[in-house]
Amino acid sequence: MAARKTAKKKTVPKKKKKAVKKKAVRKTAKKAVKKTKKKAAPRRKPPQPAPGGAVPAGGNPAGLRIRMYRVGFGDFFLMTVPTDNGPRHILIDCGVHAKDTHSIKAAVEHMAQETGKKLALIIVTHRHADHVTGFAKCKELFGEFEVERVWLSWYENPKDGKAMALQANIAAAATQIHQSLSARSDPQSEPYRNMVANITDALSAAGGSQNPEAMAVLKGFPGNPIRYYKAGDAPDLPDDLVAAGFAAQILGPPSDASLLSKTDKAAQEYLAGFSLTATDGGAIFPKGFSVKPERYKSPVFEILPREEIEARIAAAQPDQLAVGASIANNQINNQSLVTLFTFNGKTLLFAGDAQWGNWANFMFGGVDSATLKAESKAILGNLDFYKVGHHGSTNATPKDALAAMKDGCVAMCSTAIDAYPGVPRDPLIAGINSKTRNQLARSDQVAAGDQEIDPRAGKALAKIFDAVTIENAAGKCGYIDYVI
Amino acid sequence: MGLMAMAKDIYDRTRIVKPSTRPLRVYAFDPGAGRFVGNEMVATVPYEKLEPGPVGARFAVVDYDYEQKVYYKAVDLDHPWIVMRRGLDPTEGDPRFHQQMVYAVACETLQRFEVALGRRLHWFDFEYAERDGSKPPARAAVTKKDGAEEPQAEKPNRLLLFPHAMADANAFYSRAARGILFGYFRASETDPGRNLPGQTVYTCLSHDIIAHETTHAILDGMRHYFTEPTNIDVPAFHEAFADLAALFSHFSHKEVLLDTLAKTGGRLYDATLSAEASAGSDKKKDGDAGDGKDAAQIQSEIAAINPLVQLAQQFGEASGMQRGLRQMLGTRPNSNDINVLVEPHDRGAILVAAVFDAYFTIYSRRTADLFRIYRDGGGQANPVDLPEALASRLAKEASRTAEEFFSICARAIDYCPPVDIEFGDFLRAVVTAHADFYPADPDGVRAAFVEAFRLRGILPKGASSLTESSLCWPQVADNALPPVVGLQFGDPNGLTRKEKDDNGRILRAYAADHAAKLGFDPRRGAIKAPSFHPIFRIGPHGDLITDMVVELVQTEIVTDDAGTGPYPFRSGVTLLIWQEFLHNGKRADPKIHYVIQKLRTAARQQRQSEHFAAMPRTGRRDEHRHRPGDDGAIDEKKVAAAWQIDFGVMHLGV
Repeated sequence: MAARKTAKKKTVPKKKKKAVKKKAVRKTAKKAVKKTKKKAAPRRKPPQPAPGGAVPAGGNPAGLRIRMYRVGFGDFFLMTVPTDNGPRHILIDCGVHAKDTHSIKAAVEHMAQETGKKLALIIVTHRHADHVTGFAKCKELFGEFEVERVWLSWYENPKDGKAMALQANIAAAATQIHQSLSARSDPQSEPYRNMVANITDALSAAGGSQNPEAMAVLKGFPGNPIRYYKAGDAPDLPDDLVAAGFAAQILGPPSDASLLSKTDKAAQEYLAGFSLTATDGGAIFPKGFSVKPERYKSPVFEILPREEIEARIAAAQPDQLAVGASIANNQINNQSLVTLFTFNGKTLLFAGDAQWGNWANFMFGGVDSATLKAESKAILGNLDFYKVGHHGSTNATPKDALAAMKDGCVAMCSTAIDAYPGVPRDPLIAGINSKTRNQLARSDQVAAGDQEIDPRAGKALAKIFDAVTIENAAGKCGYIDYVI
Repeated sequence: MGLMAMAKDIYDRTRIVKPSTRPLRVYAFDPGAGRFVGNEMVATVPYEKLEPGPVGARFAVVDYDYEQKVYYKAVDLDHPWIVMRRGLDPTEGDPRFHQQMVYAVACETLQRFEVALGRRLHWFDFEYAERDGSKPPARAAVTKKDGAEEPQAEKPNRLLLFPHAMADANAFYSRAARGILFGYFRASETDPGRNLPGQTVYTCLSHDIIAHETTHAILDGMRHYFTEPTNIDVPAFHEAFADLAALFSHFSHKEVLLDTLAKTGGRLYDATLSAEASAGSDKKKDGDAGDGKDAAQIQSEIAAINPLVQLAQQFGEASGMQRGLRQMLGTRPNSNDINVLVEPHDRGAILVAAVFDAYFTIYSRRTADLFRIYRDGGGQANPVDLPEALASRLAKEASRTAEEFFSICARAIDYCPPVDIEFGDFLRAVVTAHADFYPADPDGVRAAFVEAFRLRGILPKGASSLTESSLCWPQVADNALPPVVGLQFGDPNGLTRKEKDDNGRILRAYAADHAAKLGFDPRRGAIKAPSFHPIFRIGPHGDLITDMVVELVQTEIVTDDAGTGPYPFRSGVTLLIWQEFLHNGKRADPKIHYVIQKLRTAARQQRQSEHFAAMPRTGRRDEHRHRPGDDGAIDEKKVAAAWQIDFGVMHLGV
């Protein structure tokens, strides 16, 4: 491309240079598009005839709109891209788990109306209930949708035996942990129960079967639209979007096979650990060996009294179930598809719930290096929009990454207070607020379903956002819009 | 005596010499290895008078079962019937044997360290730490039987061992519990390996697990801040070091060593490590169950049957892993693992593999001549059956080299910076310590270490190249630092209370006076001396060389705004202070010859803050209590406690 450009430059007289150059670029861009079409999707229907070239590509005066629906603790984003063929829509996740505002049906209904049940692209970042249950809950409605592309993380590829085995292992462990945690009634266990339920509910959404209902909906769209991606893949975008100058880059999840096998090993070992029925409370030695606590003598008790030692042993025990829950939860978060979009010179980052491991790969070039890669710095330094990772948890947005982001960029965070331990993390929210110059919108800043605006969510929304609550047949739907 | 009025005989010709060791029977591996060669062995531990428990001067077994809320009858190892038979017979069914085994293996492990380091080691001072670091209250003198008064002895600081602490597939060292908790669990019903399905498995009967956990406690006593996971290498280092100690102890077990030598044709190591060895796939034996097509496959298959290079086999098999807890020869050297592995055991395994690569390299170098002599005498090039004499010589070489490598690793701890250790620091410490102890190095041990670490991508950050001279910590220039006047070196049996108090005062004053020269920023708080201990060694010319290893640490509490909450940020230096030889009847003042620094830099603090912010939640239900409130008053001790490695969580199920 560059070579061709220089060739033109040479032959064109100086005066006309500017105009011709523009043309040339447009031409080459179109050619490039055609090429990609042939390469990436040979099976697709021929593209619709392009409208006479009256509208300059990518020059649509209307901006790109990002809409965040409030559904509770869960992600539901709709991005609307102006194209030559009118607005095209991209759905990024659709699910709710804890702190449900009972507005997801109303929101999906609203979204269906807005889009005319036509989606250019669905992106599901990872298989947690708070990102997928909407597809299961509204499967009839989704069944009426036309969808051109569905992007999933490579961890979802049914042809990848290792990835599937890993998912099965995590699911089995989560199911087991969930069962055991359900027997507990203490409030401290609640968040950990939520964590594993986030996995198991995603599996069994609607009906309690082990079939991932939501995944079945996604895989059921006609025309074989599903693509599986990992960091570095060149994603396949619908033509209209490409023609409109919309581009995407996949930054995560990492594709290191040894990493996968390590993760799988850990999952298997945890699974093995949980299947061990401790001892069923039965004695391990014949009765004669047992001594009642008050009759046991030891010189140690002169230094540390017996009761104190017993209490310390009790306190030192880790909560195996809670640990397992956290680990299973993090493993799935780190499968998140991380996408960087560019449109009209603006860049937008959607990181799903990716946590440290995933970030480390694409931002830092490995876990051992604490300094951002130069290219990551460049990406973050130019960022215009950031979908806050993992509902505002600390380890989903590394401090370095936040520091490197462009001052005054805009952020949206779907979150709910009291759903998960330490989410959203107040100091991080404060950090994002100062980085974005208070251009952060939280989903709990708009009324939806059975919830009003959460007064704890902070100051009023910045003027750049539009918060809307409307009533439809399915209930009260609330969303926040931002046009970039 | 008595009848003849002779000068009193000053000699005691009748005394029975007090034994220096006590023999105790233990499992060489664990009960799961019952049907294999040499699974029972006699541990010889230092003799001491024991109370039932057993409770001695350094260890106390307290057999409390938290699950059942009972204690188990304590063994009296001084009972004549038990002494007579070298301890109770190994059995899973008697908790008193369990107590005996935990005690014996823990003692044995401590002993190995003390022999390697040539000094007495101390546990982390639990009492002192819990008292906020204040001085112990003055204690009333005790009146002895004869009426004389003597000051009461200091309370012994024992490591507590709880052989049946919990019903979990877990074992861990805990400062709060002042010791090691061992769990028990039921073997998998479906995949129990060599165990009965559903059989109870005791972690306190695994030689490796006891050695591993005891090493955690020993390391914590030597370096207090290695339990603060300030970077990704710190917890991995703790794990790696504990695994190394457990693994090297395997090579002291002669029977197993001979058996393994016989089954591997003298090749204790794996084929892929060196080119000459890789030609030997025709030497596969019955035990080699692998398909032999892929080098890595053979490697792991050898490991699966080679008890020397795997850890805690029964534990691993019982939990359905179908192999030992960790295998050290399962990975081919590559420099990428270091970039992607984060889990402490996985990451630690890189370091362990590197050390073992160096070990096997030196072992083959030292036995190459034996094989050559054997072949020259008409022996086969790749013997299937080793002649007994050859096997015995190889075993001697293998265990001598293992002991040497263990000592090298143990001594290197003294040459590590006191805080924020990285694998690269350990390499530099190994090289420096070894060059100090064995300047000649005819077998190229240091080069083997450097090469093995390089192959695995472990590269020291500050060193300019991988030559020995640039890897060694730089020595302090003559007269660059004033001498440490008045420092007392005591003798190898330790320092008296008064010597300790004096030294502490002298060192703190020295640090305060010369903070900037040592690399500290004097405005950032007091510099403490958490530990100092003399080391004694015989120099190359047979002279006794005496050094003092000193940790100096400065702590700031950072109140960070983006996500971590307050945390301690420490800078530190390790000093090696040399006691000068006598000159003209006078002793010159002690001179500092190494200052091993881990100083305050913006980049380091940034890295630590980043790492802390990204640290996954531990999953403990009470973890919110570990973290101080964002607005609450800051208590340095509580803040530090919030950022400790949680061995209980880390060892869980792994």
